[in-house]
Amino acid sequence: MNCEVCHLKELELEHFEIREILRCILHTIIFHRALGLVRPKDVDLELFDVTYVQCGEVEVENKIEEKIEQFICWVEKHPNKKSQICLSFYEVKNKQASWFSNRIERLYWEQWYINLNVAQHLKSHSSKSHHSKFVDPGDGTLEDRNARSAALEVSLREVLFQIIKFVNEKKDHVPPIPNLEGAISFPYEITIPR
Amino acid sequence: MTTTSSHAQTEAAKTEQIITEFFAKSLHIIIESRALSASSRNFSTLSSPSSTSSSSSSSVRPRDKWFNLALRECPTALENTDLWRHSNLQPIVVDVVLVHRNLSFSPKVRSFVKERNPFEEFGGGSEQNEKIVERWVIQYESKKIKDCSSSNTANTTRRSSNTFLQNLYKKSTLLLRSLYATVRLLPAFKNFLRNLVHLQMFLLLVLLIVFRLSLNHLLLNKKPKCLSLCSLLWILIPGKLCLSVMYRPCVSDVSSEPTTPLSPQVITDYVGSPLTDRLMRFPSLPVVRMPSHGSSPSSLPFSRRHSWSYENCRASPPAVNYYSPSPTHSESHTLVSNASSQGYCPPSSLPPHPSEMSLLHKKNVNFDEYYPSPNFSPSPSPSSSSPIYSLGSLASKTLLRSESAPVNIPNAEVTYSPGHTSRQNLPPSTPIRISRCTSETERSRNLMQSCTTPEKMFSIGKESQKYSGGKIAPNSSPQISFSRSSSRSYQDEFDDTDFTCPFDVDDDDTTDPGSRAESFDRGDMTQLLEAGRFFPIRKSQGAAVGALVHMLKKAAPLHQDFTTGENLSQGARAENLKSNNFQEPNQILESLTPVSTMSSGNRKTTSDALEEFHSYRGMKNLLLMPRDGSKRQI
Repeated sequence: MNCEVCHLKELELEHFEIREILRCILHTIIFHRALGLVRPKDVDLELFDVTYVQCGEVEVENKIEEKIEQFICWVEKHPNKKSQICLSFYEVKNKQASWFSNRIERLYWEQWYINLNVAQHLKSHSSKSHHSKFVDPGDGTLEDRNARSAALEVSLREVLFQIIKFVNEKKDHVPPIPNLEGAISFPYEITIPR
Repeated sequence: MTTTSSHAQTEAAKTEQIITEFFAKSLHIIIESRALSASSRNFSTLSSPSSTSSSSSSSVRPRDKWFNLALRECPTALENTDLWRHSNLQPIVVDVVLVHRNLSFSPKVRSFVKERNPFEEFGGGSEQNEKIVERWVIQYESKKIKDCSSSNTANTTRRSSNTFLQNLYKKSTLLLRSLYATVRLLPAFKNFLRNLVHLQMFLLLVLLIVFRLSLNHLLLNKKPKCLSLCSLLWILIPGKLCLSVMYRPCVSDVSSEPTTPLSPQVITDYVGSPLTDRLMRFPSLPVVRMPSHGSSPSSLPFSRRHSWSYENCRASPPAVNYYSPSPTHSESHTLVSNASSQGYCPPSSLPPHPSEMSLLHKKNVNFDEYYPSPNFSPSPSPSSSSPIYSLGSLASKTLLRSESAPVNIPNAEVTYSPGHTSRQNLPPSTPIRISRCTSETERSRNLMQSCTTPEKMFSIGKESQKYSGGKIAPNSSPQISFSRSSSRSYQDEFDDTDFTCPFDVDDDDTTDPGSRAESFDRGDMTQLLEAGRFFPIRKSQGAAVGALVHMLKKAAPLHQDFTTGENLSQGARAENLKSNNFQEPNQILESLTPVSTMSSGNRKTTSDALEEFHSYRGMKNLLLMPRDGSKRQI
């Protein structure tokens, strides 16, 4: 089975925008791959006029939030660096551990690369950024800020449509829907840079 | 082979079922996203376990299991319509239309709204504008699956069939996921959300999101202006399952006003719907909607101005009702209609179709009651088949009724005024003036003018029926006709094709009482008068004629009265002559007056007529006799 890879458009965002952007993108991808019984939940972004869909699984939300936090920490440690988050879907090849390896072989059939370019500011380096939801962008006039925000919103929409387009165009590589309870049909993992 | 064919049939049936459910789910997703209520919106944003948990199998409805996508409650109207389940996989087109409706009648408000919303894509009055913001198209193009070769085993066929169905179901599930996300990324959704948020106590206008669901595949090739193709979602199977959308990129001018969306409504009698008449038009009248709070209104008689005539509205399946929104409501309207492969007719300000008008008028004609003869008057139009009218005090009612019927309109115009009718459409004769007869004498005179033999009355009725739009009577005086009664038969009189209405309820009385038939039975006159004054209202022309005939049959023949009157007058004259040969002419005339009111009974013979003639001659001699008492024999 081929592994389909999708590189999403790079987004230039501020530190305080990371959470919203990542939540939107990750939940959108997972919603398209959660082929079990889902009760979709519409979520409105606070920073942008965008509504995305969550699959409604609490486990998925917790896992995504955890990964976002890890990414933010990495961003703070590596300011002004382009980062990439990978969301992969796989199949478990061998569940039984072998004599030489206890790992379970995973056969990836799809990978999503989320490219982010986080613009760091001096004020955002404060420890309060971990706790506060949003941080003031600091430098820059209001007009520049608004323009940047508008551009980011447009880019975000493009990314979402890119996801939809990819999901629609490539379907053959998706494994058969297993008869499992819950929304998540296929195991996945979120990989952040180290 | 039998097994193979049975597998093929099973596969085809399951394929059709999957696609049908796909259509249903797609519709649900689209309409739900455009017709969310505040309550449902809150439900979706809450992160409560009950709303987010998908593991509770107890709350899973059967339809949620299709494609593993549990949606919100389907609008009641949409459920009742159930279009897609009987669509036979015909393409479905969903138009998302924004409708502006001004609630305030203030001219300032209207102008303000017009300035802010100058667009008018469809015809509409000053109070309502419509604009397509999205067009969703769901279609399936089937292709024949190649028959499996005879060498394939049954197991192979079954396996491949299962694989095919699983693949189809998986891809349909993925496509619906994409659709669910797409509907929330389009501009219309943002506009809709804004409407949900902005709730005002006072409303300058109402923004209604209207859906028009059409199964017209002709719409597929029609692209409304200002709509760009957004995305094309498709599945390639043996055949092609396609889902596309054309949307208006900018809906900001429409969504700038505070609005209160209404609950979704379903229009089943959409133009082009197979359930409605082909010839229906869309007058641009505001839609009347049912008020509802938190629930989709049930289907009601469709009184939307955008639909057909009232009669057809009652016949068509109920669909939409307009709703006067309240500030507390945050629902939007979804109108879904089922249309066949007929032409798309956007709503416009066209008047009702003439055929509809004729239907209306015909119906009104059935309820109209036309007065039977003798109170009928001809109409100048020979082609019309108008029934009998009545004039005078009852003219107004008749005119109203006649105006409602297209056939009678020209008659009504002609018979607008009694005077006009009597003077132009009728002969100057005034047979019966029921409205004007105040004295019994006048009534009797009128009746004398009009009454004739039952056979003649019947023929008159026939003629009236024949010449219902008939020609104008000639300027023949009834006096002349009546005075000629002895020399000219009634048949001759009424055989005149120009004379179609011997009866008339008219003010003008051009008859000469002296020329009228004198030998008239007062009792018969009373009877006839009674019958003439209180003619029963008939519903049909035939019934009116029958009543006339019946009346005429009961009427006493005039010639009988003449005979009786002749005998009596003869005796009276003899007495007068004997008693007083020098009577004044007036006294003679007075003595002769009872002649005119004689009872009937005897028939006239030639000898009687001759005697009468002699008596008249004697009277004449008396009248001409000089005062000196000299007699003159003439």
